[in-house]
Amino acid sequence: MNIKLKNATYKQMLWIGMASITLFFAGLTSAVIVRSSESGWQEISMPKSFWLSTIAIILGSLLLVTSKRIVKKGKNPSDLIFLTFVCGVIFAVCQFKGWSELVDQGKFFVGEGSSPASSFLYVITFAHLLHVVGGLISVFITYTKSVNLKYSRENYLGIELTSIYWHFLDILWLYLFAFLLYII
Amino acid sequence: MTNVFIVLICFLILVTLVQIVRVGELLDNIRQKDYNLVTTRDNKRQSFTMVIVGIAFLVSCVWQYFAWNPLLLPPASSEHGVIIDELMRFTMILIISVFFMLHIFLFYFLYKYKKIDDNHKAYFYTHNNRLEYVWTIFPAIILTGVILYGLNVWDQITNADTSQSSLVEVYGKQFGWNARYPGIDNSLGKHDYKLVGGANALGIDMDDEHSLDDKVTRELHLVVGKPVLMKLRSQDIIHSAFMPHFRVQMNCVPGMTTQFAFTPTKTTAEMKMQEGEDFEYVLLCNKICGVAHYNMQMKVVVETQEEFDEWISTQKTLSEKLLTQK
Amino acid sequence: MSDHHNETFISKYIFSLDHKMIAKQFLITGMFMGIVGMLMSLLFRLQLSNPGESFAVLEWFLGEKWAPGGVLDPNMYLALVTMHGTILIFWVLTAGLTGTFANFLIPLQIGARDMASGFMNMLSYWFFFVATVVLLCSLFVETGPASAGWTIYPPLSALPEAIPGSGLGQDLWLIAMTLFIVSSLLGGLNYIVTILNLRTKGMSMTRLPLVMWALFIVAILGVLSFPVLLSASLLLVFDRTFGTSFYLSDIVIAGEALHHTGGSPILFEHLFWFLGHPEVYIILLPALGIVSEVISVNSRKPIFGYKAMVISLMAIAFLSFIVWGHHMFITGMDPFLGSVFTFTTLLIAIPSAVKVFNYLATLWRGSIRFTPAMLFAIGFVSTFITGGLTGIVLGDSALDINVHDTYFVVGHFHIVMGLSAIYGMFAGVYHWFPKMYGKMMNKRLGYIHFWVTFISAYGVFFPMHFLGLAGLPRRYYSNTAFPMFEGLTNINEIITFFAIIGGLVQILFIFNFYYSIFWGTKANKNPWGSTTLEWTTPIERIHGNWPGEIPTVKRWAYDYSKPGYDEDFVPQTEPIKEGEKEH
Repeated sequence: MNIKLKNATYKQMLWIGMASITLFFAGLTSAVIVRSSESGWQEISMPKSFWLSTIAIILGSLLLVTSKRIVKKGKNPSDLIFLTFVCGVIFAVCQFKGWSELVDQGKFFVGEGSSPASSFLYVITFAHLLHVVGGLISVFITYTKSVNLKYSRENYLGIELTSIYWHFLDILWLYLFAFLLYII
Repeated sequence: MTNVFIVLICFLILVTLVQIVRVGELLDNIRQKDYNLVTTRDNKRQSFTMVIVGIAFLVSCVWQYFAWNPLLLPPASSEHGVIIDELMRFTMILIISVFFMLHIFLFYFLYKYKKIDDNHKAYFYTHNNRLEYVWTIFPAIILTGVILYGLNVWDQITNADTSQSSLVEVYGKQFGWNARYPGIDNSLGKHDYKLVGGANALGIDMDDEHSLDDKVTRELHLVVGKPVLMKLRSQDIIHSAFMPHFRVQMNCVPGMTTQFAFTPTKTTAEMKMQEGEDFEYVLLCNKICGVAHYNMQMKVVVETQEEFDEWISTQKTLSEKLLTQK
Repeated sequence: MSDHHNETFISKYIFSLDHKMIAKQFLITGMFMGIVGMLMSLLFRLQLSNPGESFAVLEWFLGEKWAPGGVLDPNMYLALVTMHGTILIFWVLTAGLTGTFANFLIPLQIGARDMASGFMNMLSYWFFFVATVVLLCSLFVETGPASAGWTIYPPLSALPEAIPGSGLGQDLWLIAMTLFIVSSLLGGLNYIVTILNLRTKGMSMTRLPLVMWALFIVAILGVLSFPVLLSASLLLVFDRTFGTSFYLSDIVIAGEALHHTGGSPILFEHLFWFLGHPEVYIILLPALGIVSEVISVNSRKPIFGYKAMVISLMAIAFLSFIVWGHHMFITGMDPFLGSVFTFTTLLIAIPSAVKVFNYLATLWRGSIRFTPAMLFAIGFVSTFITGGLTGIVLGDSALDINVHDTYFVVGHFHIVMGLSAIYGMFAGVYHWFPKMYGKMMNKRLGYIHFWVTFISAYGVFFPMHFLGLAGLPRRYYSNTAFPMFEGLTNINEIITFFAIIGGLVQILFIFNFYYSIFWGTKANKNPWGSTTLEWTTPIERIHGNWPGEIPTVKRWAYDYSKPGYDEDFVPQTEPIKEGEKEH
């Protein structure tokens, strides 16, 4: 397979994979919509840390956009990719902090103090974080490869795929965050 | 020891099969035929078999209908059941006609167009768009009719007027049923699953004044000709209250109350005259619910108002059952 | 493409990256699981026709715990029914059917060396293999395998106190299904991307054989619907393991009031059936595609109405996403929803009917050759007509009230899946066996296999409609608890009789399959006189499929008996003559 075909193929696979992931979250969010219209639904205020994590993930997207631009000029984007990784870690940390804020508020995943709303909140944010971990692995591999000068102006497929996936996680988070803000 | 013999016999059967097939191949090699090539002879035989089996199949379907029709459910014992049965009859006639027609075409074509010799050529005809429109639109029209008819019946069933209905609750659990009658106030008392226990199998809140005159029974008695609104609940998992004679089925889901409204039209006594002395109406569970799912039943009786009044007067109210025992 | 010079046994047969080998791995595993699943049905059929009677074979297979004194234990009955459904629907008819034919045919028919990612393809099989091992392990746990039905509705599937199989057995089932879904998604990704990108020169989408369209659309269906089952299962796992209340509420079980409140089992049903319905079309569509090929080749005629066939495949796929509620008419959901789902469900009958008419039109004025594959394709048409028509009864909400969860439903879905789809699979195996193994399957054994199967199978499933109309519920261990079902014993006996015969004759097929791999007569390159690309590859099967250049495609796939040609077929690689219209 030539480079152009390989690039197109892997990008398409990524897009289809992202469609699958979207349907997975669509299933979860539909469940929330159905449940929220029934009795016993209490709204929960969003932990402050989730706002911070939103900023972190958007920052990561911006860094990757810049990385792509840099590599197209023939330069090495390793530092930016490393910073993206850091943003991702900050995102994860903020998610955990958000969950402790919820616990402090008395909103638990299960048992006394849990409610349908709180259970869903934990599940959805946890599921998203799992996918972010996948993204972090991808960013890390891309970082290693770029440090080893595997990317060039002609071939930067890894950076492209990583950044498409990251943007997807970003937009997915924005959608989920807005959804949770509004419904939960 | 028997196991060893069984294995040995299976092995020998296998070897025999292999030998038979090998012999067949060698014979054909001698005759210089291609063993597995499908010949004109095969085509003739197979298409002939297809017609014979096809006809036998269609005849067997007819036979099954006549042999087993008497075993099917008797005509419906409820008002809405009658319109369901009419819809079913209409739909069945439709699909059975299509079934026979298409199969006759199928077997006929297979017989008529079999390849009879090497010169027999097929007719190269790739498509006909007008035909596609015809056989898209024609079924669409028929199906629209079926849909409209079906939705009309569905609407009559689900939007029944329940303003005059008597109320009864059917409660399912592993592995039995109870019915709860609302008593003189025609109102069922509140329930809370945490109160289930001991004599209070349905978890009724006895602090609610409406609960006091409720009666929990082990049989479901209904008055002929009187509309009833059945409320359904479950104690543990999903069950389904299925009363086939009335064309009634509704899931019992823990955590929610479902309902079904209908009017019984034939008393048990009438049915006994029709179907035999042993006949009883029954309510069965129709959603997999565990080890005794196949034996989760409640007797249903349809009777006159007087008979019902007599029966219900023999049943204890919840205040008698639960509160006096305190 | 990858260099296969230094192949070891492991890299050639075990961790192969070659799509043809992976296809065979799916086929063999699928066939094995088919035997297991079918055996289960024979075991529980014995109980159904002779309730409470002792059968030594039951104790032989299930042991003293689950068949004490040779009588099937009621919990094990439900476990067998559950595992039978799970194995046949997912393992045999999804992985076994799509996994085999998508993997085998796609690169060959589009003119590619292999799938887009041989590595992901290999992963797809090995996830499937591990899923199989996990599922088979669940058969041996002490509390028994999952027993809440293949539909695993909570609370029954969430509470081991409600049924023992909902303990470890259900956990293993969920793990196996998760691995299975991953396998499916990996496969689907490959199929879509390969068909979109790796078609050879001249192979436009409209020149693709219909089976390629079917597999392409099925892959899209899969990647969009399986993830929702994953979300449904995830929430179920949380309910079971961590005590959340997504699906559970107000439950008293084994004398204890559980803490769950606020959950809804109906939510599970919605999420489950959102996959569950497209799933049955994921099963059906590959069979529809295969049958199009087999009927066309063996009638020596183009498939009638190629464009209409493609559009109807798309229509069926699209509609399949909006009919799931017809499994839930009597759950107590809003009656208006019931009306909506009746409407959409009956609409699906239209493209299905169009396909049947097109098959009949293909046979019309054809020159029909009755190979075993063709017989099974014809069997498909017959059973698709029968099963599809009873779907019209079930799709009508008012009629469903009295047939839901009765044997009427069991008859319907077995005829469309257990007969139609399996016949499609058999047709595919008989038809492409020469390409897979370079040998011919034994024709006579094929004929016997078809006729005995066709007759027995209708003998098993047609009477079930009568059982259903008599009110007999499904998943009942025995009919003896209700006097109203006493007259039905006869029918049950007939069903079991045909089931045993039909089951046993599959041994002939298995025998034929394996015998022919090793000692079958050698096939020539194109034994059926087919136009499609896979028949232009050498009989010996090589990596990269074609020894030299990949052929370019000059015409569509259905030039059979075209006027102006001596041969009654024109391969796709043959250039269009002067003055000839493509079609």
